[in-house]
Amino acid sequence: MDAAKKPVTVIINGRRCRADAGERILSVAIREKIAIPHLCYEASLDPYGACRLCLVEVIKRGKNEMTTSCTLWATEGLDVVTDTPDIVKHRNILFELYLAQAPKSEIIKKMAAQYGVTKTRFFKKVNPADPLGNACILCGLCVRVCDEIMGAGAITFVNRGPYTVVNTPFSEVTRDCLGCGACAKVCPTGAIRIDDLEGERVMTSWSGTRVPLVQCRACGRFFAPQALAAKTLARLTPALAGDVAALCPECRGQQIAEREIRAKTGGAGNHA
Amino acid sequence: MKIKSKSDLAARRRIGAAKITPGTPRIAVGLATCGAAVGGDRIYERLHEIIQTGNLDILLTKVGCIGYCKEEPLVNITIPGKPLVILHRVNEADADTIIRAVLAGDVLDDKALCRIPAWDHVTGHTQQYGTGFDRIPLYADVPFFRHQKKVILRNAGLINPEDIDEYIAVGGYQAAFQALTGMTPEAVIDEVEKSGLRGRGGAGFPTGLKWRITRDAQADKKYIICNADEGDPGAYMNRNEMESDPHMLIEGMIIGAYAMGVDEGLIYIRAEYPLAIQRLKHAIREAREAGLLGKNIFGTTFCFDIEIAIGAGAFVCGESTALVASIEGKTGRPHPRPPRLTDIGGGLWGKPTDLNNVETWCNVPVIIKNGSGWYAQIGAHGNTGTKVFSLVGKVDRVGLVEVPLGTSLSTIVFDIGNGGAAQKKVKAVQTGGPSGGCIPVRLFDTPMDYESLNNAGSIMGSGGIVVMDEETNMVDIARYFINFATGESCGKCVPCREGLKHTLLLLNKILAGKGTKADLETLAILVDTIQATSLCGLGQTAPNPVLTTLAYFRDEYDALVRS
Repeated sequence: MDAAKKPVTVIINGRRCRADAGERILSVAIREKIAIPHLCYEASLDPYGACRLCLVEVIKRGKNEMTTSCTLWATEGLDVVTDTPDIVKHRNILFELYLAQAPKSEIIKKMAAQYGVTKTRFFKKVNPADPLGNACILCGLCVRVCDEIMGAGAITFVNRGPYTVVNTPFSEVTRDCLGCGACAKVCPTGAIRIDDLEGERVMTSWSGTRVPLVQCRACGRFFAPQALAAKTLARLTPALAGDVAALCPECRGQQIAEREIRAKTGGAGNHA
Repeated sequence: MKIKSKSDLAARRRIGAAKITPGTPRIAVGLATCGAAVGGDRIYERLHEIIQTGNLDILLTKVGCIGYCKEEPLVNITIPGKPLVILHRVNEADADTIIRAVLAGDVLDDKALCRIPAWDHVTGHTQQYGTGFDRIPLYADVPFFRHQKKVILRNAGLINPEDIDEYIAVGGYQAAFQALTGMTPEAVIDEVEKSGLRGRGGAGFPTGLKWRITRDAQADKKYIICNADEGDPGAYMNRNEMESDPHMLIEGMIIGAYAMGVDEGLIYIRAEYPLAIQRLKHAIREAREAGLLGKNIFGTTFCFDIEIAIGAGAFVCGESTALVASIEGKTGRPHPRPPRLTDIGGGLWGKPTDLNNVETWCNVPVIIKNGSGWYAQIGAHGNTGTKVFSLVGKVDRVGLVEVPLGTSLSTIVFDIGNGGAAQKKVKAVQTGGPSGGCIPVRLFDTPMDYESLNNAGSIMGSGGIVVMDEETNMVDIARYFINFATGESCGKCVPCREGLKHTLLLLNKILAGKGTKADLETLAILVDTIQATSLCGLGQTAPNPVLTTLAYFRDEYDALVRS
């Protein structure tokens, strides 16, 4: 919709900021370098609103209303503040809840400390057998990126309420995992463990699912999961696919460069 | 035979009337789930056996439930020319004597609860039964019934819910006929708006306005949904409405669909209500055969049909966005609003969708039949109409109670419910299920309307009223509801998932006598944050039982903690 792209001005902490109509306030704040803590936001995914940390207060007709900035859309003249006493009060409790939920996450500890929260009054949950190392905060980014961006749907939420965890179906090895590692890339607490061994990638957090890797025919290095490569190659023109299929990015770059130089210099490739 | 005209409808009324007052004695057993649970099925079987073997000229049938749970099983006796008599606390062994009396044109005195010489079905139809049996108390003299006003439950316990003819006989489907053949959709919406009807699911949003928003949404396809995912502990009014009078719901939905320009409706009902599902399916089939659902309803150009979607037992699926996700086959997890269901992209399959509670739909036929002016004078200003409450817990007369909105808690608990069970003193009530709060007896002059309940820290919710007596530990009550909400949290957002879990841990600690004053402070701070920051209504309201017990029964908490 073109109407949604209309430029508008929003006010964050008294500062006037340009935004696209319909853009999320958190996205505007990130661009404007206004600090709002957040854990479940990813620009390429739909608003989710689960971590509740990005609270702001909207000033509407003199009344303040608290809401999450990742689900708040920019409209002309929208006036928000990010650090009222109420927000600080509730956010601090939320940080305490996070410290209890993910006691082993250094990232959470550091983030909470930035906002002055270093201790929690709540019972800390530690499960020595947790495949996510007691660092998962169930923000759902891994689940969503796996499903909505990669189209694999290899992992999901299991159980509900306080028993919710993220894992593969039935906590078993899954064939649906492409081994792309997008889950680990988006994880805000670095909870997902992936180990690259000789010839295969082990999704240690995902029930030890093993994904074979493609070996570079030039240098012999293992460089990409086979399933991901196959999915990607299906989208490329055959001419390009040949090189991509069997060469690691470095060797590919080198070989293509050499080939181009040869073509330009009539095959001599000699500058002497 | 399809009903296409006023005379077709009148013909069906005559068929139905001959079933309600057949000219021979009629025995009707109260067989909603509640009646069946206390042996109604066995009574029915036994009566059936006696009538069959004796080849007796008695019509045996099933009816729904009139709502007096305490006195079940209930059996209605209709002897030609005599009032309808409700027998109470009947058991299988009474079957022979009941039949013997009926054959002699009489009823058992010691089993008679009350008599009904005539009954106003609130559709312009008054069912005349007859006179006599003056020794038996009148319906209106029974204290449990005296303060009630039956509008939604107008047919419950009196007609056979599995027979469309009986519903038509007492004035059913006249409102739908009137709307589809004589009113514009706008006029229907106007009427609902002017009636002041508000959503009976708990939030109290103006129904007419929601309908108008849905009607005005620009889309090639729209849906209406009936929310029948009733899941509050202690609440069962929707179940009884569907089990006792399923056509009332269907008629309400037909009128709504016509008003909003919708051709497809769904009833989202929980799997734990098998009898309601069975009766709804049967009623939908009957309505299709009568040309009241499907193509060209009443011979008009209007087409509409209803499907049933069965929930899988998650409380959170009563939340609108989770409900839609569940119907679409996804996990029942709420998403942030907007988009609302009525928005493009927000409803079922992305189409604008109107969602109303069972009881909201059930109000529609009488509003259209009797007019918004008639409806608006019931209840209180801004809170029009009646509401069915399930009065349960430690109260003497347990049952479904229908009263005008604005009736005081004291009328419901003391006048209708007769106070505490076993002569115990009533201490408080909990209204609105796990999302509601506890109201102490000193605030029992609180009128049961949306705003007054909110001011008292509770909510209307779907209408559950759980009574607590002097022996109830209010901290334990808070724990019960928090335990429920924790188990039913979908687990998406942190305050609800983690916060409720820690609330439960704190309450367990306090109840175990290991809590400290500091724990009480933490508890208060924590529930405040859960209420303020949760994503959906479940989390936002789940702290209410703790907040209200902390406010009204702080001494019970203090007595449990070490200083």
